[in-house]
Formats: sequence, structure tokens, C-alpha cells
Amino acid sequence: MTNLQTNASAAQGTSDLAVRMEAVEKWYGEFHALKNVELSVKRGERIVICGPSGSGKSTLIRCINQLETIKSGRIVVDGHDLTAGGKNVDIVRQETGMVFQQFNLFPHMTGLENCTLAPMKVRGISKAEAEKTARKFLERVRIPEQAEKYPAQLSGGQQQRVAIARALCMNPKIMLFDEPTSALDPEMVKEVLDTMIDLAKEGMTMLCVTHEMGFARQVADRVIFMDRGEILEMGTPDEFFGNPKNERLKIFLGQIS
Amino acid sequence: MPLIRAFGPNEFWIIVLAAQWTIALSVIAFAGGGLGGLFIALARVSDAKWPRRIATWFIRLFQGTPLLMQLFLVFFGLNIFGLGINPWFAAAIAFTLHASAFLGEIWRGCIEAVPPGQREAATALGLRYFNRMRYIILPQASKIAVAPTVGFLVQLIKGTSLAAIIGFTELTRQGQIINNATFSPFLVFSTVAAVYFVLCWPLSLLAGRMEKKFSRATTR
Repeated sequence: MTNLQTNASAAQGTSDLAVRMEAVEKWYGEFHALKNVELSVKRGERIVICGPSGSGKSTLIRCINQLETIKSGRIVVDGHDLTAGGKNVDIVRQETGMVFQQFNLFPHMTGLENCTLAPMKVRGISKAEAEKTARKFLERVRIPEQAEKYPAQLSGGQQQRVAIARALCMNPKIMLFDEPTSALDPEMVKEVLDTMIDLAKEGMTMLCVTHEMGFARQVADRVIFMDRGEILEMGTPDEFFGNPKNERLKIFLGQIS
Repeated sequence: MPLIRAFGPNEFWIIVLAAQWTIALSVIAFAGGGLGGLFIALARVSDAKWPRRIATWFIRLFQGTPLLMQLFLVFFGLNIFGLGINPWFAAAIAFTLHASAFLGEIWRGCIEAVPPGQREAATALGLRYFNRMRYIILPQASKIAVAPTVGFLVQLIKGTSLAAIIGFTELTRQGQIINNATFSPFLVFSTVAAVYFVLCWPLSLLAGRMEKKFSRATTR
């Protein structure tokens, strides 16, 4: 059943673009959060988005699965136009996985239950099959032995890896990472980044908001700099770090390195 | 037969037994209020504007007027609509509406106390409103809700004493009747108060214990 569904939706998204954002405008009351954002992400592409806090980078990726609604513009994810509404929002949410800064695991469920809930309730997969898939992904994020534990019994790094596994269990085509290592103790950052690097190597389309510039250099196809709701610079890691053009980006890079 | 009876064991047991009507009314109000309260709470946190508005006004109305007036209005109101004067029916409806409003507001607070990241994570996984509520939000909110809900139940049990005024024979009303026959108000109403205490005290203890258990669970 899963394969059938995935095939059907793959056939629908014939464009080679995973995400297309056109003239996106977003306001929080009086605050202009996104200004005329244009972004196209190809399938399999890895994008890192950085910028000072409040620059709109989290808002940008939260618009892709419509955790935030936009005021105007157009967002098409895997061929499904979010702005057209209707069933598209549900489809897009099923096809995009999201990992949050604060993990947001469900505290009343074990790691395994966190991973099986959505496949069972959204995709209608049997419990046995959902658990099989969940164990496979928990193994892939290297914590199969923690499956029966509750989030509160896990370290921050382990929680974030369960959260990644939970997202992967829905077989997403696109993964969104919203500062996945910012809430972690320094010694746990690496285990989460390694998991993300593995994922990147497997060809997953990824959009990551992060301050981990080492990660950006290593896996990103393109790095984006945002400030005050605008995309100010976009380029390969070599261009971006080696020859930044925007003044604010130069200052930003000076501050974080 | 003398005009004034003495307050004896017989009178004592009549009062104690009247507690069953207090309990019955409390159970009806709590069950009805639980159902209505869930409905009100869900309407209060709905994405749609109108359910939210209606629920807000329902709560404001019942929180902003005395319980006694609510009882009177339902009691006499039913009569106006030609349903006849029936203290049982009126008390059951009035207390159910009252409990719905208060439980609805308590539970709304509990639902909103669940961190917003939980809803976001569930939404991002593709879970829709019903499944989000059922599997993610309500299980967490209900843990938070136990202590204040039991606390409200205590208020509700004591509040049912007002039903005596519209002629519903429960604990308080039975006390008044016995007092009219024995004229030993202090003894009679001490007994009445003691019965309320026996009903409410274990619940208060329970609420306190739940609260402690919950605060332990959340400070992990």
C-alpha cells in the first residue's frame, strides 16, 4: 500500500523541483517576516539557510509545510500548490518531514510509538509494519536499543535522533530541519549532525536552518543568507564562504567564525 | 405526637441518607458537565471563529452570574416554556450547564498548557485535527486537568446545596425539613455540614495528591 501511494504521488509531481517559492510575503501583524522570497530547490538538493535571529529563516521553512500561512505569493511543493489549498496541504505535510529545535517528541509515548503513530493514523499502515519500519529507521539513526524508552529518559541528542527517525518513518521526499542542534549540549551536536550527513549522502532533499557552518561546507549544495526577511545571498559553499558579496553577510560570517 | 420532636438517631439517619440525592445530582451534573465541558473546551480552541465566540459567551454568561440565579432562571424558565415545575429536572439542567461552562474553561486552559510544539510536530507529521487532539493533545492535557477537575467537583458537590432553594430534597433541604420538626438548628446543620465534609474531604485529598504527582511528572 505504501509503495502504491508513493508511486502515485511521484507520478503527480512531474517537475524536477522539490520546492518552488514565488514572491512570498509573510507578515506577523505589523512585522514583515518574509519579503518577496524567491527560492527553487531541486530534488536531491541540500540547502542550508543561515542568518541572524529574527531574520525569517525558520519562518521560511515553516511555510513549506504550512505551519505558517503566507499573505501572498505562491509555494509549490513536489508539484502540489499549497496556495491552492484543499487536499494539497495534507499531501505536502505527508511528504515533508520536519525536525524542530526543541525536538517536540510526544512525551507520553515511547520512541517507537512516536515513530509509528503517524504512519498508522495518516497512512493507515498496520501496527506490525509500522513498527518494522520504525525499528529500521531507529537503527539508521543508531539508537535501536532506545526504542522502548520515553523521551524524558533519553539525552537531548538521542531525542533529536528519535525525532529524525519519526520524520523518516513517513517516507518523506523532503526533510526540513529547523535549527536541529541549537538546543543541544555541545557534545551531542556531532551525533545529530552525523545522522544528517548520512541522510544527505542518501540523496534526501534537505532544507536546514542551522548555524553549523562546518555542516554547511560539508553537505550543502547551496547556502542561503537571510536577514530581515529577505534572501540576501545564495551560492555554493565555496562562493558563499570564500567570496561573500553582501556586506551584512560579511559581518555575519565575521561574527560566527 | 408532640409538636417538636427531639433530634435522635432516626433524624440523624434521615439526613445522612439524603446525601444520596446530593450525590445523584452531583454525578448527573458532573457527567453532563464533563460532556458539555469537553465540547465547550474544544470549541474554545477551535480554528473556526464562530464556535470559539459562542463558547466564549457561554462561559462568560455562566461565570458572570450567580449559580442561584442560574437555578432560578432554569427552574422558572422551564415553567414559562410549559414544562411544569420539576425541581429534579431543573436542577439537573442548571447544574449541567453550570458545570459545562466551568469545566470547559478549566479544560481549555489545560489544552492550551500543552506546549505549541506538540501541535506543530503532529501537524508536520500530517495528523489532522481529530487525530492530533485524540492522540497528542488531549492525553497530555488530561494529565494536567485531573487536579483542577477534582477540585471543581468538590465545588460542585457543595454547590448542589443551592438546589434546596427550588425545593429539591437533597442534603441541605432534608436538613431544613428536620430542623423545622426538631428545632435544633445547631445539631441539624452540624450533621449536614459533617456529611458534606465526608463527601468532599477525600476528593480534596485526592486532588492534592494528583497535583503533587503531576508537578513531579513535569519537573523531570
